[in-house]
Amino acid sequence: MVTALGTAGAHGCGRAGLERALAAGAPPPATEVDRGAGYHRPGGARRALLTPVAALAPWLPAAEARRMGPPSRLAVAAARIALAEAGLDPAQLAGPGTAVVLSTAFGPCSFSEALLRQVLRDGPESASPYLFTESVANAPAAQIAIACGARGANVTLCQREAGPLLAVARGAAEVAAGRAERALVGAVDEMPPLLHAVLDRFGALAAHGARGSEAREGPGGRCRGEIGRPLDRRRDGVVAADGATVLLLESAAAAGRGGRVPLARVCGWGSAFDPSAPPTGWGGGGEALGRALRRLLRRCGAAPEDVGAPPAAIDRIVSGASGARAGDRLEARVLRAAWGAAPLPPVLAPKGVTGEYGGGFLAAAVLAAAVAGVAAAPAAGFGEPDPDLGVSPHDGSPLPPPRALLASSLAAGGAAAWLILGRPR
Amino acid sequence: MQPGEAVQAAPANPGEGADGAGSAGRERGGRRVVVTGVGAVSGFGWGVEALWQGLRAGTTAIRPFRRFDATLHRTHLAAEVPAAPASPAERPCGPAAARAAAGGRPLGTLSLADRFALSAAGEALAAAGLGAALRTLPEGAVGVFFGSSTGGMWESEQFLAGVFDGRRGSLRAIASQQVNGPGDAVARGFGVTGPVQTVSSACASGALAIAAALESLRRGEVEVALAGGSDSLCQLTYAGFNSLRSVDEAPCRPFRAGRAGMSIGEGAAVLVLEPLERVLARGAVPLAELAGAGSACDAFHMTAPEPEGTGAAAAIAAALDDAGLAPAAIDFVNAHATGTPLNDAAEWRALLAVFGERSGRIPVTATKAAVGHLLGCSGAIEALVTVLSLARGELHPVPALPAASATSGDGDPIDGACPAALVTGRPLALPAARAALSTSLAFGGSNAALVFSRWTGASP
Repeated sequence: MVTALGTAGAHGCGRAGLERALAAGAPPPATEVDRGAGYHRPGGARRALLTPVAALAPWLPAAEARRMGPPSRLAVAAARIALAEAGLDPAQLAGPGTAVVLSTAFGPCSFSEALLRQVLRDGPESASPYLFTESVANAPAAQIAIACGARGANVTLCQREAGPLLAVARGAAEVAAGRAERALVGAVDEMPPLLHAVLDRFGALAAHGARGSEAREGPGGRCRGEIGRPLDRRRDGVVAADGATVLLLESAAAAGRGGRVPLARVCGWGSAFDPSAPPTGWGGGGEALGRALRRLLRRCGAAPEDVGAPPAAIDRIVSGASGARAGDRLEARVLRAAWGAAPLPPVLAPKGVTGEYGGGFLAAAVLAAAVAGVAAAPAAGFGEPDPDLGVSPHDGSPLPPPRALLASSLAAGGAAAWLILGRPR
Repeated sequence: MQPGEAVQAAPANPGEGADGAGSAGRERGGRRVVVTGVGAVSGFGWGVEALWQGLRAGTTAIRPFRRFDATLHRTHLAAEVPAAPASPAERPCGPAAARAAAGGRPLGTLSLADRFALSAAGEALAAAGLGAALRTLPEGAVGVFFGSSTGGMWESEQFLAGVFDGRRGSLRAIASQQVNGPGDAVARGFGVTGPVQTVSSACASGALAIAAALESLRRGEVEVALAGGSDSLCQLTYAGFNSLRSVDEAPCRPFRAGRAGMSIGEGAAVLVLEPLERVLARGAVPLAELAGAGSACDAFHMTAPEPEGTGAAAAIAAALDDAGLAPAAIDFVNAHATGTPLNDAAEWRALLAVFGERSGRIPVTATKAAVGHLLGCSGAIEALVTVLSLARGELHPVPALPAASATSGDGDPIDGACPAALVTGRPLALPAARAALSTSLAFGGSNAALVFSRWTGASP
């Protein structure tokens, strides 16, 4: 059971700001990224959805923060927000019954960059042990464990956009197998200027376009103006984000003992790989990934045996479509292949609000699954269906709470992960 | 469940399902899992035999290296992988797999860690008799579970050096820089369509990846798993560990009284894991059984292990429980044994907690003394060496200490505070060893343990 959600991002700390943004169908204000290094493309991205540093202060005393790198600060704050929501004191988590599983797409890159700047420019002996300690990908998971005394399994996964759902799956497996009574699972990412610039140079980010322009039509009918437009004909890339989301997963028994009302139930998970994908992009294996997804649905009792009929149990999809040209195309093909001739259930595409990376998508998926979750809103950034995709996000009309929700996330490089969330019993 | 269903449905009430907490892995309804092939790249060279012969000869691959100028660094040794074989025929990973791994881009975009991983995976698949057969398995039946600490960091350093100097740098240089690069390269190179995941939990990554593969196989999610790790020597880790004063100026000396730190290495290791019934059905012979896995966290400090080794002991106990074995069944240990004063002391306390008065009599080997610390791959290469030790009935010695670094007699004496029964001098014959333990204790307090059993030919 998912019994609490802690999130930190451009929406602030806690879920209220994210719920408001999702309900309004509009992302929180983006921040101008330092482009002083001159590495961004001319006309490329300028902004990112960044967590206001001051928002972390109530969750992370300065004396503690100064010993952590940016991802650790975000992750520990998000974990504490989740525990506060659950009414748990960190001391109650101390012991071998608490596992921690986090994912990160790029790891603590600002400290790695700073450390390498020391090593390469000032000489190896100038390397800071503090920077090195917090340059490892598992630093945030370790800092959560230290903060909470969590002595169960401690695992960090790196699988780009598929990582957050894989982390939930691995944490749920720890609880389901009885190796842990509870697990803190989620995702964390920072978005320092150089990483932002590299993503921009790879053409991954929605471009800013001409100076001062908003929503300009760019070459090929693509839209400029640095807007993430999931599944839209004019999409031209993602809006990068930092942040962290940490979920508290508990066995039903533990949730019951604590008197906590679950937000959602983890009903199943699955993953697959598309070997036709290049290392930094998406491939053409939509049909095969669709078959893998269909096997997941069948396994979870969410699809009938007769191919072609609708997998009726799933009545909501939270798509990882982000505004990436090829990524959204593959996402649409996978969903269409899995559902066959049947109509898709309503598709939510929250990355127009949350941006890409930083765990916002995971938080949005859980909020969409929660019985008392946010109302469906028109997908941020969407305006024109793409006939090439055949999938459009939900139009914002009222929807009942979902019985079972599929979260889908396809990673650049080939990995794919899916998670099925249902109503708590 | 049908082969190739890379999916998992959670029990209706997690934690209360049919699995039942606390029972052995085999009794949880899972399948027995065996190792059918191994592949390695190490400071001894490209291939398992180069590694094994180097280990059993009691030599070390820790020596001066060429990857970058070490003169400005505090220490000057590492176990660097020698140049790849010039002849394509000698390379375990064929050109087709390398081209596929590069995803249509020039082969030069593959990082060193990618190349190590591809070579080790190709060798392991060939040894398992699955080379060409891999693509004939049902869709989704093969998974990749990899550990890496820095992925293509060496290539990223070349890119960043240019950026720091105000140059644009080539994006090609960082096309494979991600931590998940080596695992993805293996999946792409060999046409894998099942689950692929990369663990990056520092020095426990490789062992945790193998543990993930074990679970996936037991649950029937995959029929074949390529599990292992890959990391390459780079300035970030070399200078970083030196900044912590964790690196010995001489080749590392685990469990010795005068030990002064680790030695850094590089390379890859891959184990092919399959369910026992499938292996027997196809007439293959297992090298060993992967009997159990366990993990636990110190929750103590980012770089220092908990001094009593509580977390490591918990991981070992969990692995034994998962294997359904008592501590008495373990006949040797391939220890994490970095050679840092704190690690070896904490690890000894963990062994003492689990094995009690037997601790000083259980033969212990320390592969890092020969190939250095492979970081995210260390758990994988030490698991591989454990498998070979069981299959070949002997335990490799730690390298003899050069006279120049000896503090007394024939080298550093074993530390009286952690008196492990270190194998020295020559290989120790253990033809009847029943089971063995491989441990990993990581930065950030993440501990992992794997238990392997000797394959005796018994029916499932």
